[in-house]
Amino acid sequence: MAERVGIIAVAQTKYHPNRTDVNEEELAYEAIKQVLEETGLTLSDMDSAVTCSQDFLDGRTISSMNIQHVVGAHLGHEDNISEDGINAVYAAMGQILSGHQHIVLVEAHTKESQGDKSLIENAAFDAIFMRQLGLDFTSAAALQARRYMYKYGITAEQCAKVVVRNHANAKNNPFAQEPMDISVDDVLGSKMLISPIRLLDTKPISDGACAMILAPEGKVKKLTRKPVWILGASNCYETHYLGDRDLADCDALVKAAQKAYNMAGITNPLRQIDVAEISTEYSYQEPLWLEGLGFCDQGEGGKLVDSRATKMGGKLPVNPSGGVLPGNPNGVAGMARVAEAVLQLRGEAGDRQVKGAKVALTHGYTGICGQHQAVMILGNM
Amino acid sequence: MVKESPKKKAEGPEYIRIKFNAPRLYNWSTGKYLGKVYAEAKENKKLVGNRCPQCKEIWLPPTPVCPKCKVDMGWDWVELPQTGAVYQYTYLVYPLWDPHYGEKWANPYPSAIILLDNGVYYRHWLEEKDKEKLKAGTRVQAVWKEDYEERGQGVQDILYFRTLEE
Repeated sequence: MAERVGIIAVAQTKYHPNRTDVNEEELAYEAIKQVLEETGLTLSDMDSAVTCSQDFLDGRTISSMNIQHVVGAHLGHEDNISEDGINAVYAAMGQILSGHQHIVLVEAHTKESQGDKSLIENAAFDAIFMRQLGLDFTSAAALQARRYMYKYGITAEQCAKVVVRNHANAKNNPFAQEPMDISVDDVLGSKMLISPIRLLDTKPISDGACAMILAPEGKVKKLTRKPVWILGASNCYETHYLGDRDLADCDALVKAAQKAYNMAGITNPLRQIDVAEISTEYSYQEPLWLEGLGFCDQGEGGKLVDSRATKMGGKLPVNPSGGVLPGNPNGVAGMARVAEAVLQLRGEAGDRQVKGAKVALTHGYTGICGQHQAVMILGNM
Repeated sequence: MVKESPKKKAEGPEYIRIKFNAPRLYNWSTGKYLGKVYAEAKENKKLVGNRCPQCKEIWLPPTPVCPKCKVDMGWDWVELPQTGAVYQYTYLVYPLWDPHYGEKWANPYPSAIILLDNGVYYRHWLEEKDKEKLKAGTRVQAVWKEDYEERGQGVQDILYFRTLEE
Protein backbone atom coordinates (compact mmCIF):
# COMPACT_ATOMS: atom_id res chain seq x y z
CA MET A 1 0.00 0.00 0.00
CA ALA A 2 1.28 3.41 -0.90
CA GLU A 3 -0.42 5.12 1.97
CA ARG A 4 -2.40 3.91 4.95
CA VAL A 5 -6.08 4.63 5.48
CA GLY A 6 -7.22 5.98 8.82
CA ILE A 7 -10.58 6.22 10.54
CA ILE A 8 -10.88 9.69 12.05
CA ALA A 9 -14.33 9.57 13.64
CA VAL A 10 -17.05 7.03 14.46
CA ALA A 11 -20.59 7.31 15.80
CA GLN A 12 -23.49 5.01 16.55
CA THR A 13 -27.08 5.63 17.53
CA LYS A 14 -28.38 3.86 20.60
CA TYR A 15 -29.86 0.60 19.33
CA HIS A 16 -33.61 0.39 19.89
CA PRO A 17 -36.37 -2.15 19.16
CA ASN A 18 -38.65 0.30 17.34
CA ARG A 19 -37.67 3.84 16.35
CA THR A 20 -41.11 4.94 15.18
CA ASP A 21 -40.09 8.56 15.84
CA VAL A 22 -37.69 8.75 12.88
CA ASN A 23 -37.49 7.61 9.28
CA GLU A 24 -34.34 6.05 7.83
CA GLU A 25 -32.95 9.39 6.71
CA GLU A 26 -33.32 10.94 10.15
CA LEU A 27 -31.90 7.83 11.83
CA ALA A 28 -28.82 7.93 9.59
CA TYR A 29 -28.41 11.66 10.18
CA GLU A 30 -28.30 11.14 13.96
CA ALA A 31 -25.03 9.23 13.52
CA ILE A 32 -23.68 11.41 10.68
CA LYS A 33 -24.24 14.62 12.66
CA GLN A 34 -22.02 13.28 15.44
CA VAL A 35 -19.01 12.53 13.20
CA LEU A 36 -19.31 15.98 11.61
CA GLU A 37 -19.45 17.67 15.00
CA GLU A 38 -16.52 15.64 16.30
CA THR A 39 -14.23 16.49 13.37
CA GLY A 40 -15.49 19.98 12.61
CA LEU A 41 -15.88 18.88 8.98
CA THR A 42 -19.00 19.61 6.92
CA LEU A 43 -20.76 17.48 4.33
CA SER A 44 -19.18 19.77 1.69
CA ASP A 45 -15.75 18.53 2.84
CA MET A 46 -16.61 14.93 1.88
CA ASP A 47 -15.24 13.74 -1.45
CA SER A 48 -17.50 10.73 -1.51
CA ALA A 49 -20.03 8.77 0.49
CA VAL A 50 -20.29 5.00 0.82
CA THR A 51 -23.62 3.93 2.28
CA CYS A 52 -24.97 0.58 3.37
CA SER A 53 -28.64 -0.35 3.36
CA GLN A 54 -30.71 -3.25 2.12
CA ASP A 55 -33.57 -2.68 -0.27
CA PHE A 56 -35.94 -5.24 1.26
CA LEU A 57 -35.32 -3.96 4.78
CA ASP A 58 -35.84 -0.35 3.69
CA GLY A 59 -38.79 -1.38 1.56
CA ARG A 60 -37.66 0.39 -1.61
CA THR A 61 -35.29 -0.36 -4.43
CA ILE A 62 -32.13 1.75 -4.69
CA SER A 63 -32.49 2.31 -0.97
CA SER A 64 -29.61 4.79 -0.83
CA MET A 65 -32.02 7.34 -2.27
CA ASN A 66 -33.48 7.51 1.24
CA ILE A 67 -30.38 9.14 2.65
CA GLN A 68 -28.98 11.08 -0.29
CA HIS A 69 -29.26 14.53 1.32
CA VAL A 70 -27.91 13.60 4.76
CA VAL A 71 -24.74 12.06 3.29
CA GLY A 72 -24.19 15.18 1.16
CA ALA A 73 -24.54 13.24 -2.08
CA HIS A 74 -26.59 15.77 -4.07
CA LEU A 75 -24.47 16.26 -7.22
CA GLY A 76 -21.81 14.21 -5.47
CA HIS A 77 -20.27 10.75 -5.46
CA GLU A 78 -22.14 7.96 -3.66
CA ASP A 79 -21.90 4.17 -3.69
CA ASN A 80 -24.23 1.80 -1.90
CA ILE A 81 -23.33 -1.55 -0.38
CA SER A 82 -26.13 -4.00 0.34
CA GLU A 83 -24.12 -6.40 2.52
CA ASP A 84 -22.90 -5.48 5.99
CA GLY A 85 -21.61 -1.98 6.71
CA ILE A 86 -18.13 -3.42 7.34
CA ASN A 87 -17.98 -3.90 3.57
CA ALA A 88 -18.84 -0.22 3.13
CA VAL A 89 -15.78 0.61 5.26
CA TYR A 90 -13.76 -1.72 3.03
CA ALA A 91 -15.09 -0.03 -0.13
CA ALA A 92 -14.25 3.40 1.30
CA MET A 93 -10.73 2.18 2.05
CA GLY A 94 -10.40 1.05 -1.57
CA GLN A 95 -11.58 4.43 -2.88
CA ILE A 96 -8.96 6.22 -0.78
CA LEU A 97 -6.15 3.81 -1.70
CA SER A 98 -6.99 4.34 -5.37
CA GLY A 99 -6.15 8.01 -4.87
CA HIS A 100 -9.46 8.89 -6.48
CA GLN A 101 -11.22 9.96 -3.26
CA HIS A 102 -9.76 11.48 -0.10
CA ILE A 103 -12.22 12.18 2.69
CA VAL A 104 -14.98 9.58 2.64
CA LEU A 105 -18.16 9.42 4.72
CA VAL A 106 -19.38 5.89 5.48
CA GLU A 107 -22.91 5.28 6.73
CA ALA A 108 -25.05 2.22 7.50
CA HIS A 109 -28.62 2.14 8.77
CA THR A 110 -31.40 -0.38 9.22
CA LYS A 111 -34.86 -0.25 10.71
CA GLU A 112 -35.69 -3.92 11.14
CA SER A 113 -38.86 -2.91 12.98
CA GLN A 114 -40.61 -1.57 9.90
CA GLY A 115 -40.99 -4.83 7.99
CA ASP A 116 -41.64 -8.52 8.59
CA LYS A 117 -38.09 -9.72 9.29
CA SER A 118 -38.76 -13.40 8.65
CA LEU A 119 -40.49 -12.76 5.33
CA ILE A 120 -37.77 -10.34 4.22
CA GLU A 121 -35.10 -12.90 5.11
CA ASN A 122 -37.02 -15.51 3.13
CA ALA A 123 -36.51 -13.28 0.09
CA ALA A 124 -32.74 -13.64 0.57
CA PHE A 125 -33.07 -17.25 -0.56
CA ASP A 126 -33.03 -17.85 -4.30
CA ALA A 127 -36.53 -17.46 -5.68
CA ILE A 128 -37.02 -20.72 -7.50
CA PHE A 129 -35.32 -23.36 -5.35
CA MET A 130 -34.90 -22.71 -1.63
CA ARG A 131 -37.35 -19.88 -1.00
CA GLN A 132 -40.29 -22.24 -1.39
CA LEU A 133 -39.21 -24.07 1.78
CA GLY A 134 -40.12 -20.99 3.80
CA LEU A 135 -36.66 -20.71 5.35
CA ASP A 136 -35.54 -17.55 7.11
CA PHE A 137 -32.15 -16.78 8.72
CA THR A 138 -33.10 -18.31 12.08
CA SER A 139 -34.41 -21.59 10.67
CA ALA A 140 -31.32 -21.91 8.47
CA ALA A 141 -29.06 -21.01 11.41
CA ALA A 142 -30.71 -23.77 13.43
CA LEU A 143 -29.51 -26.30 10.86
CA GLN A 144 -26.00 -24.90 11.11
CA ALA A 145 -26.13 -24.90 14.92
CA ARG A 146 -27.26 -28.54 15.01
CA ARG A 147 -24.62 -29.63 12.53
CA TYR A 148 -21.86 -27.74 14.40
CA MET A 149 -22.91 -29.06 17.80
CA TYR A 150 -23.18 -32.61 16.46
CA LYS A 151 -19.84 -32.64 14.64
CA TYR A 152 -17.73 -31.11 17.41
CA GLY A 153 -19.71 -31.85 20.56
CA ILE A 154 -20.43 -28.20 21.29
CA THR A 155 -23.07 -28.00 24.04
CA ALA A 156 -26.10 -25.80 24.58
CA GLU A 157 -24.48 -24.71 27.89
CA GLN A 158 -21.40 -23.45 26.05
CA CYS A 159 -23.61 -21.45 23.69
CA ALA A 160 -25.60 -20.12 26.66
CA LYS A 161 -22.38 -18.90 28.29
CA VAL A 162 -21.76 -16.76 25.21
CA VAL A 163 -25.19 -15.16 25.65
CA VAL A 164 -24.60 -14.50 29.35
CA ARG A 165 -21.20 -12.86 28.77
CA ASN A 166 -22.37 -10.69 25.87
CA HIS A 167 -25.44 -9.35 27.69
CA ALA A 168 -23.33 -8.66 30.79
CA ASN A 169 -20.68 -6.83 28.74
CA ALA A 170 -23.47 -4.77 27.17
CA LYS A 171 -24.11 -3.20 30.57
CA ASN A 172 -20.95 -1.15 29.99
CA ASN A 173 -22.03 -0.04 26.52
CA PRO A 174 -24.22 3.08 26.36
CA PHE A 175 -25.39 2.14 22.84
CA ALA A 176 -26.56 -1.37 23.79
CA GLN A 177 -30.21 -2.30 23.38
CA GLU A 178 -30.61 -5.12 25.92
CA PRO A 179 -27.91 -5.01 28.58
CA MET A 180 -28.83 -7.47 31.32
CA ASP A 181 -27.73 -9.88 33.99
CA ILE A 182 -28.90 -13.34 33.03
CA SER A 183 -27.76 -16.86 33.89
CA VAL A 184 -27.06 -19.93 31.79
CA ASP A 185 -30.30 -21.36 33.20
CA ASP A 186 -32.23 -18.31 32.00
CA VAL A 187 -30.93 -18.90 28.47
CA LEU A 188 -31.62 -22.65 28.57
CA GLY A 189 -35.09 -21.96 29.98
CA SER A 190 -36.04 -19.32 27.42
CA LYS A 191 -38.62 -20.09 24.75
CA MET A 192 -37.53 -22.55 22.05
CA LEU A 193 -37.78 -20.88 18.63
CA ILE A 194 -36.31 -23.44 16.26
CA SER A 195 -34.34 -26.25 17.89
CA PRO A 196 -31.66 -25.74 19.16
CA ILE A 197 -32.07 -21.94 18.99
CA ARG A 198 -33.94 -20.42 21.92
CA LEU A 199 -35.17 -16.85 22.27
CA LEU A 200 -32.07 -15.74 24.19
CA ASP A 201 -29.76 -17.51 21.73
CA THR A 202 -30.62 -14.85 19.19
CA LYS A 203 -30.83 -11.10 18.97
CA PRO A 204 -33.96 -8.95 19.25
CA ILE A 205 -35.40 -6.84 16.41
CA SER A 206 -33.28 -3.71 16.30
CA ASP A 207 -33.10 -0.26 14.67
CA GLY A 208 -29.94 1.81 14.46
CA ALA A 209 -27.29 3.55 12.40
CA CYS A 210 -23.52 3.94 12.32
CA ALA A 211 -21.32 6.55 10.63
CA MET A 212 -17.59 7.07 10.08
CA ILE A 213 -15.15 9.33 8.31
CA LEU A 214 -12.09 7.83 6.61
CA ALA A 215 -9.08 9.65 5.17
CA PRO A 216 -5.61 8.92 3.74
CA GLU A 217 -2.60 9.05 6.07
CA GLY A 218 -1.47 12.47 4.84
CA LYS A 219 -4.77 14.08 5.83
CA VAL A 220 -5.54 11.99 8.91
CA LYS A 221 -2.88 13.59 11.05
CA LYS A 222 -4.30 17.06 10.40
CA LEU A 223 -7.81 15.94 11.32
CA THR A 224 -7.38 13.91 14.52
CA ARG A 225 -4.91 13.39 17.31
CA LYS A 226 -6.07 9.78 17.76
CA PRO A 227 -6.03 8.08 14.37
CA VAL A 228 -6.93 4.43 13.99
CA TRP A 229 -5.48 2.64 10.97
CA ILE A 230 -6.89 -0.13 8.82
CA LEU A 231 -4.04 -2.64 8.91
CA GLY A 232 -5.70 -5.42 6.99
CA ALA A 233 -9.08 -6.20 5.42
CA SER A 234 -10.62 -8.90 3.34
CA ASN A 235 -13.85 -10.66 2.60
CA CYS A 236 -14.86 -14.00 1.17
CA TYR A 237 -18.02 -15.51 -0.22
CA GLU A 238 -19.14 -19.13 -0.20
CA THR A 239 -21.92 -21.24 -1.63
CA HIS A 240 -25.53 -20.22 -1.18
CA TYR A 241 -27.08 -23.72 -1.20
CA LEU A 242 -26.92 -25.08 2.32
CA GLY A 243 -26.26 -28.61 1.13
CA ASP A 244 -23.14 -27.57 -0.79
CA ARG A 245 -20.95 -26.97 2.27
CA ASP A 246 -20.34 -28.49 5.67
CA LEU A 247 -22.16 -26.02 7.89
CA ALA A 248 -19.99 -27.04 10.87
CA ASP A 249 -17.03 -25.28 9.27
CA CYS A 250 -16.69 -21.77 7.94
CA ASP A 251 -14.25 -21.90 5.04
CA ALA A 252 -15.12 -18.40 3.84
CA LEU A 253 -14.20 -16.93 7.22
CA VAL A 254 -10.92 -18.89 7.31
CA LYS A 255 -9.98 -17.44 3.92
CA ALA A 256 -11.09 -13.89 4.73
CA ALA A 257 -9.13 -13.97 7.99
CA GLN A 258 -5.97 -15.37 6.41
CA LYS A 259 -5.91 -12.65 3.78
CA ALA A 260 -6.55 -9.88 6.32
CA TYR A 261 -3.88 -11.33 8.63
CA ASN A 262 -1.34 -11.45 5.78
CA MET A 263 -2.02 -7.83 4.97
CA ALA A 264 -1.69 -6.81 8.64
CA GLY A 265 1.36 -9.00 9.30
CA ILE A 266 -0.42 -11.21 11.83
CA THR A 267 0.94 -14.72 12.19
CA ASN A 268 -0.33 -15.57 15.68
CA PRO A 269 -3.79 -14.02 16.09
CA LEU A 270 -4.29 -15.01 19.73
CA ARG A 271 -1.00 -13.38 20.74
CA GLN A 272 -1.01 -10.37 18.43
CA ILE A 273 -4.65 -9.26 18.70
CA ASP A 274 -5.70 -7.47 21.89
CA VAL A 275 -9.47 -7.36 21.45
CA ALA A 276 -12.02 -8.83 19.07
CA GLU A 277 -15.44 -7.50 18.11
CA ILE A 278 -17.26 -10.17 16.13
CA SER A 279 -20.77 -10.41 14.69
CA THR A 280 -22.89 -13.20 16.11
CA GLU A 281 -26.62 -13.05 15.53
CA TYR A 282 -26.89 -16.50 17.16
CA SER A 283 -24.96 -17.77 20.16
CA TYR A 284 -23.44 -20.85 18.44
CA GLN A 285 -21.74 -18.53 15.98
CA GLU A 286 -19.27 -17.14 18.51
CA PRO A 287 -17.34 -20.39 19.06
CA LEU A 288 -17.69 -21.24 15.35
CA TRP A 289 -16.40 -17.86 14.15
CA LEU A 290 -13.57 -17.93 16.74
CA GLU A 291 -12.43 -21.18 15.10
CA GLY A 292 -12.67 -19.66 11.62
CA LEU A 293 -10.66 -16.66 12.77
CA GLY A 294 -7.88 -18.97 13.90
CA PHE A 295 -8.08 -18.19 17.63
CA CYS A 296 -8.32 -21.95 18.23
CA ASP A 297 -8.37 -25.17 16.25
CA GLN A 298 -11.45 -26.49 14.45
CA GLY A 299 -13.94 -27.86 16.95
CA GLU A 300 -12.20 -26.18 19.90
CA GLY A 301 -14.44 -23.09 19.98
CA GLY A 302 -16.53 -24.49 22.83
CA LYS A 303 -13.47 -24.91 25.02
CA LEU A 304 -12.34 -21.38 24.18
CA VAL A 305 -15.65 -19.87 25.31
CA ASP A 306 -15.51 -22.05 28.44
CA SER A 307 -12.13 -20.61 29.36
CA ARG A 308 -11.49 -17.17 30.83
CA ALA A 309 -9.74 -16.07 27.64
CA THR A 310 -12.69 -14.35 25.98
CA LYS A 311 -13.88 -12.52 29.11
CA MET A 312 -12.92 -8.96 30.03
CA GLY A 313 -9.40 -9.19 31.45
CA GLY A 314 -8.78 -12.44 29.54
CA LYS A 315 -6.17 -13.09 26.86
CA LEU A 316 -8.59 -12.12 24.09
CA PRO A 317 -11.63 -10.17 25.29
CA VAL A 318 -14.40 -10.90 22.77
CA ASN A 319 -17.12 -8.27 22.34
CA PRO A 320 -16.50 -5.90 25.26
CA SER A 321 -19.46 -4.00 23.77
CA GLY A 322 -21.76 -7.00 24.13
CA GLY A 323 -21.70 -7.53 20.37
CA VAL A 324 -24.76 -8.22 18.30
CA LEU A 325 -26.72 -10.56 20.63
CA PRO A 326 -28.05 -7.75 22.87
CA GLY A 327 -29.45 -6.08 19.73
CA ASN A 328 -27.90 -4.64 16.55
CA PRO A 329 -29.68 -4.51 13.20
CA ASN A 330 -28.51 -6.57 10.23
CA GLY A 331 -26.44 -4.42 7.91
CA VAL A 332 -25.21 -2.21 10.75
CA ALA A 333 -23.89 -4.99 13.02
CA GLY A 334 -20.45 -5.49 11.46
CA MET A 335 -19.79 -1.79 10.98
CA ALA A 336 -20.74 -1.27 14.64
CA ARG A 337 -17.96 -3.75 15.48
CA VAL A 338 -15.50 -1.50 13.62
CA ALA A 339 -16.84 1.55 15.47
CA GLU A 340 -16.41 -0.23 18.81
CA ALA A 341 -12.86 -1.28 17.92
CA VAL A 342 -12.01 2.33 17.03
CA LEU A 343 -13.20 3.44 20.48
CA GLN A 344 -11.07 0.68 22.05
CA LEU A 345 -7.96 1.74 20.12
CA ARG A 346 -8.49 5.39 21.01
CA GLY A 347 -8.86 4.51 24.67
CA GLU A 348 -12.37 5.98 24.61
CA ALA A 349 -14.40 2.83 25.34
CA GLY A 350 -15.30 3.89 28.89
CA ASP A 351 -16.24 1.03 31.22
CA ARG A 352 -15.78 -1.52 28.43
CA GLN A 353 -12.19 -0.41 27.68
CA VAL A 354 -9.58 -3.16 27.19
CA LYS A 355 -6.50 -1.60 28.75
CA GLY A 356 -3.71 -0.76 26.33
CA ALA A 357 -5.42 -2.24 23.27
CA LYS A 358 -3.22 -1.68 20.22
CA VAL A 359 -4.56 -4.15 17.65
CA ALA A 360 -8.22 -5.07 17.22
CA LEU A 361 -10.01 -7.59 15.07
CA THR A 362 -13.45 -6.79 13.70
CA HIS A 363 -15.77 -9.10 11.84
CA GLY A 364 -19.05 -8.89 9.98
CA TYR A 365 -21.06 -11.27 7.89
CA THR A 366 -24.01 -11.18 5.54
CA GLY A 367 -26.54 -13.77 4.54
CA ILE A 368 -27.54 -17.27 5.35
CA CYS A 369 -25.35 -19.20 7.82
CA GLY A 370 -22.50 -16.72 7.37
CA GLN A 371 -22.34 -17.03 3.61
CA HIS A 372 -20.35 -13.83 3.13
CA GLN A 373 -17.62 -13.11 5.70
CA ALA A 374 -15.58 -9.96 6.23
CA VAL A 375 -12.59 -9.36 8.52
CA MET A 376 -10.88 -6.05 9.27
CA ILE A 377 -7.81 -5.55 11.45
CA LEU A 378 -7.34 -2.14 13.04
CA GLY A 379 -4.41 -0.65 14.94
CA ASN A 380 -3.44 2.60 16.62
CA MET A 381 0.30 2.53 15.90
CA MET B 1 -40.85 -38.42 -36.23
CA VAL B 2 -42.79 -36.98 -33.37
CA LYS B 3 -45.88 -35.14 -34.32
CA GLU B 4 -46.33 -31.92 -32.43
CA SER B 5 -49.80 -31.33 -31.22
CA PRO B 6 -51.15 -28.21 -32.91
CA LYS B 7 -52.84 -27.21 -29.64
CA LYS B 8 -49.55 -27.25 -27.74
CA LYS B 9 -47.83 -25.15 -30.36
CA ALA B 10 -50.48 -22.49 -30.06
CA GLU B 11 -50.00 -22.33 -26.27
CA GLY B 12 -46.22 -22.02 -26.45
CA PRO B 13 -43.66 -24.15 -24.61
CA GLU B 14 -44.63 -25.73 -21.31
CA TYR B 15 -42.75 -24.80 -18.18
CA ILE B 16 -43.35 -24.88 -14.47
CA ARG B 17 -44.43 -21.63 -12.91
CA ILE B 18 -43.73 -20.95 -9.25
CA LYS B 19 -45.96 -18.31 -7.78
CA PHE B 20 -45.34 -16.19 -4.71
CA ASN B 21 -48.29 -14.22 -3.46
CA ALA B 22 -47.18 -13.36 0.10
CA PRO B 23 -47.59 -9.63 0.69
CA ARG B 24 -44.60 -7.85 2.14
CA LEU B 25 -45.94 -5.33 4.63
CA TYR B 26 -44.09 -2.32 5.99
CA ASN B 27 -44.85 0.25 8.66
CA TRP B 28 -42.81 3.23 7.58
CA SER B 29 -42.42 6.21 9.86
CA THR B 30 -42.81 9.61 8.26
CA GLY B 31 -40.22 10.96 10.70
CA LYS B 32 -40.42 14.42 12.19
CA TYR B 33 -39.97 16.47 8.99
CA LEU B 34 -42.48 14.78 6.68
CA GLY B 35 -44.61 14.15 9.77
CA LYS B 36 -44.92 17.93 10.14
CA VAL B 37 -46.06 18.27 6.49
CA TYR B 38 -48.67 15.54 6.85
CA ALA B 39 -49.94 16.86 10.17
CA GLU B 40 -50.42 20.35 8.69
CA ALA B 41 -52.32 18.77 5.78
CA LYS B 42 -54.59 16.72 8.02
CA GLU B 43 -55.20 19.31 10.74
CA ASN B 44 -55.18 22.59 8.83
CA LYS B 45 -55.36 21.80 5.09
CA LYS B 46 -52.06 23.65 4.75
CA LEU B 47 -49.08 22.94 2.50
CA VAL B 48 -45.74 23.57 4.20
CA GLY B 49 -42.09 23.18 3.30
CA ASN B 50 -38.85 23.80 5.19
CA ARG B 51 -36.41 26.60 4.39
CA CYS B 52 -32.63 26.45 4.23
CA PRO B 53 -30.96 28.90 6.64
CA GLN B 54 -28.24 29.60 4.05
CA CYS B 55 -29.72 29.73 0.52
CA LYS B 56 -33.33 30.27 1.74
CA GLU B 57 -34.60 27.70 -0.74
CA ILE B 58 -37.80 25.93 0.35
CA TRP B 59 -37.95 22.14 0.14
CA LEU B 60 -41.03 19.93 -0.23
CA PRO B 61 -40.71 17.10 0.62
CA PRO B 62 -38.79 18.62 3.49
CA THR B 63 -35.26 17.53 4.31
CA PRO B 64 -33.01 17.59 7.40
CA VAL B 65 -30.04 18.77 5.27
CA CYS B 66 -30.13 21.28 2.41
CA PRO B 67 -29.16 19.27 -0.70
CA LYS B 68 -27.47 22.30 -2.27
CA CYS B 69 -25.68 23.93 0.71
CA LYS B 70 -25.23 20.62 2.61
CA VAL B 71 -26.01 22.33 5.92
CA ASP B 72 -28.43 21.40 8.70
CA MET B 73 -31.88 22.81 7.87
CA GLY B 74 -32.84 23.56 11.46
CA TRP B 75 -36.60 23.91 11.97
CA ASP B 76 -37.77 26.81 9.78
CA TRP B 77 -41.18 26.19 8.19
CA VAL B 78 -42.95 28.18 5.51
CA GLU B 79 -46.58 27.92 4.47
CA LEU B 80 -46.86 27.48 0.71
CA PRO B 81 -49.51 29.02 -1.54
CA GLN B 82 -52.08 26.55 -2.83
CA THR B 83 -52.35 28.22 -6.21
CA GLY B 84 -49.94 28.05 -9.10
CA ALA B 85 -49.52 27.26 -12.77
CA VAL B 86 -49.23 23.92 -14.58
CA TYR B 87 -45.52 23.62 -15.32
CA GLN B 88 -45.80 20.36 -17.20
CA TYR B 89 -48.45 17.70 -17.48
CA THR B 90 -48.98 14.27 -18.94
CA TYR B 91 -51.97 12.00 -19.13
CA LEU B 92 -51.76 8.32 -18.41
CA VAL B 93 -53.05 5.67 -20.76
CA TYR B 94 -51.96 2.47 -19.02
CA PRO B 95 -53.08 1.83 -15.42
CA LEU B 96 -50.62 2.36 -12.57
CA TRP B 97 -50.28 0.28 -9.43
CA ASP B 98 -52.27 1.51 -6.47
CA PRO B 99 -49.55 1.21 -3.83
CA HIS B 100 -52.07 1.15 -0.98
CA TYR B 101 -54.02 -1.86 -2.20
CA GLY B 102 -51.66 -3.63 -4.59
CA GLU B 103 -54.03 -3.64 -7.52
CA LYS B 104 -53.90 -2.05 -10.94
CA TRP B 105 -55.48 1.33 -10.77
CA ALA B 106 -57.00 3.18 -13.64
CA ASN B 107 -55.94 6.61 -12.40
CA PRO B 108 -58.40 8.93 -14.10
CA TYR B 109 -56.44 12.14 -13.53
CA PRO B 110 -53.67 13.72 -15.60
CA SER B 111 -50.39 13.89 -13.75
CA ALA B 112 -48.69 17.29 -13.42
CA ILE B 113 -45.86 19.31 -11.98
CA ILE B 114 -47.32 22.53 -10.63
CA LEU B 115 -45.25 25.65 -10.08
CA LEU B 116 -46.73 27.11 -6.91
CA ASP B 117 -46.94 30.90 -6.72
CA ASN B 118 -43.86 31.12 -4.47
CA GLY B 119 -41.67 29.16 -6.90
CA VAL B 120 -41.84 25.69 -5.28
CA TYR B 121 -42.60 22.79 -7.62
CA TYR B 122 -45.24 20.31 -6.48
CA ARG B 123 -46.18 17.03 -8.14
CA HIS B 124 -49.88 16.14 -8.13
CA TRP B 125 -52.91 15.46 -10.34
CA LEU B 126 -55.14 17.75 -12.35
CA GLU B 127 -58.94 17.59 -12.17
CA GLU B 128 -59.22 18.50 -15.86
CA LYS B 129 -59.46 15.31 -17.92
CA ASP B 130 -60.17 16.84 -21.30
CA LYS B 131 -56.96 16.48 -23.31
CA GLU B 132 -57.91 19.46 -25.46
CA LYS B 133 -58.05 21.71 -22.42
CA LEU B 134 -54.77 20.62 -20.83
CA LYS B 135 -52.00 23.11 -21.34
CA ALA B 136 -48.92 24.37 -19.58
CA GLY B 137 -49.38 27.66 -17.79
CA THR B 138 -53.01 26.99 -16.78
CA ARG B 139 -53.74 28.55 -13.37
CA VAL B 140 -54.78 25.89 -10.82
CA GLN B 141 -55.67 25.57 -7.13
CA ALA B 142 -55.45 22.65 -4.69
CA VAL B 143 -58.70 20.90 -3.76
CA TRP B 144 -58.58 19.16 -0.39
CA LYS B 145 -60.54 16.26 0.97
CA GLU B 146 -63.06 18.16 3.09
CA ASP B 147 -63.83 15.38 5.58
CA TYR B 148 -61.30 15.49 8.44
CA GLU B 149 -61.61 11.73 8.95
CA GLU B 150 -60.68 11.08 5.32
CA ARG B 151 -57.51 13.14 5.59
CA GLY B 152 -54.32 11.72 7.14
CA GLN B 153 -53.32 10.02 3.86
CA GLY B 154 -50.29 12.24 3.25
CA VAL B 155 -50.11 13.65 -0.28
CA GLN B 156 -53.52 12.16 -1.04
CA ASP B 157 -55.13 14.63 1.39
CA ILE B 158 -55.22 16.83 -1.71
CA LEU B 159 -57.60 15.32 -4.28
CA TYR B 160 -56.20 17.21 -7.28
CA PHE B 161 -55.58 20.73 -8.60
CA ARG B 162 -58.59 22.47 -10.18
CA THR B 163 -58.41 24.93 -13.09
CA LEU B 164 -59.08 28.50 -11.92
CA GLU B 165 -61.55 30.41 -14.09
CA GLU B 166 -59.96 33.77 -14.88
